[in-house]
Amino acid sequence: MPDAGGSQDNDLGLSGLSHLVIQVSDVARAAAFYSDVLGLEASAASWPGSAEALALASGGGQHLVLSPAAELTDLRETGVHHAFAVSPAQREKAAAALAARDAEVFDYAEDPPDEAKDRFYFLDLDGNRIQLVTRPRAGADDAPRLDHTAVQVADILWAERFYTEVLGFTPVHRVGWNTADYARAQLWADGKEDMAPGTRRLDKRYSSIVNRRMVPRVNMQVYFACGGGVFGVYLANRHFQEPPEEAVLGVPRTAFRVTEDGLARARERLEAAGWRLEGPVAHAAGRPIAASLYLRDPGGNFIELATAAEAAP
Amino acid sequence: MAEVETLSHSGICVHDLKEAEQFYCGVLGARLQGAVNFYTEDTLNGRSVHQAYSLGDFLFAVALAPDFMPMPAGDQLKGAMGIRHAFTVRKAEFEKVLAGLSRNGVPFEGPVDQPEAGPFGQSVYFKDPSGNFLEIVWRRDEDVAYAEPPELDVG
Repeated sequence: MPDAGGSQDNDLGLSGLSHLVIQVSDVARAAAFYSDVLGLEASAASWPGSAEALALASGGGQHLVLSPAAELTDLRETGVHHAFAVSPAQREKAAAALAARDAEVFDYAEDPPDEAKDRFYFLDLDGNRIQLVTRPRAGADDAPRLDHTAVQVADILWAERFYTEVLGFTPVHRVGWNTADYARAQLWADGKEDMAPGTRRLDKRYSSIVNRRMVPRVNMQVYFACGGGVFGVYLANRHFQEPPEEAVLGVPRTAFRVTEDGLARARERLEAAGWRLEGPVAHAAGRPIAASLYLRDPGGNFIELATAAEAAP
Repeated sequence: MAEVETLSHSGICVHDLKEAEQFYCGVLGARLQGAVNFYTEDTLNGRSVHQAYSLGDFLFAVALAPDFMPMPAGDQLKGAMGIRHAFTVRKAEFEKVLAGLSRNGVPFEGPVDQPEAGPFGQSVYFKDPSGNFLEIVWRRDEDVAYAEPPELDVG
């Protein structure tokens, strides 16, 4: 995705991604995988809300939280993925670790020009799709940072209104709104480019027409800048089960970092809009985050707004 | 053959739907009336990606072209790539149209004086960002109240 810069041009004091909570079947096994491949190590502080979850410290004070799940949501055929910004050396190390594990690496063609080179995708042991984006500024000393993440929704216009009008995100990149994207979908259908699942699809043109032919199409996507972070929304290419309406806290979950004032403002605005919320929940001292507000987006994705804890002594 | 009543709507193709939305809604003042294939259900039904705008009383569908279309020369402002749509404004509004196009950096040709014997007063010609030709015209007969057609005694 385009580099969104580090400005906080939003009245929630957004400064990008705080943490991601993903489902894994075995926390210890997943932790060993992420340590081996990405050099992410367990954070000393325990994660609030779940004794069984394990937080791995990524760069910039962010976390990848591994949450045990008896039944994993299969997201492999969707646009859902998580990207880390890596230095060339970190990329080499990841490639070597994956090769040693006989893990497959995919070089799906990407839409944003700045991701078109150094393509690098893989699945973790639980089917979570991970992308590595080689960024010249990514520090060799620092653990890889979360570069961007993406969710899927059944109504992308509603999602865009929610993320722009309620959370103050700014659209920075669209896929599927241009004829050029359709030309690339044709390349994919012709087997000339390999696209990430959830990005392209074959459609039956007008299902009421007999002998309909299949046409390659692009799945609508909008990427947003959110105070230095980048967040993507994909139009789902098949129906999916949303969590029950009353559930506002769940996994997988995307957490954005906001200021304390921003958290209060977000709560007011969301309550005024009739949004179902849980929190703000104040976390115990010594945890990596100070307070969280939990909600769902219009696609039923679990979202969290979190404030960072004071810097550890 | 059944009797046709009137034109219901028309549709054109564009190369960039967001750009078209900004042009038709932002510059020409159309209202977004619908959007298709931004929902999973539409996707599964194989619907084309398009939006519908109302411009005055006219319903106008704008679809994303799945293939690149021929484009007119950049400096050609008047013509028809298969079709040209002309929208009517009141004569008193015409200057505002020209000012609006200028303010938004949309090049246009005209105003062109139309034959005095005909119903059209003046036209201005331009195109949308995908090269679809458009025209805005005021009519000399804008204050004429049209009579209902007489009942014909065919009995």
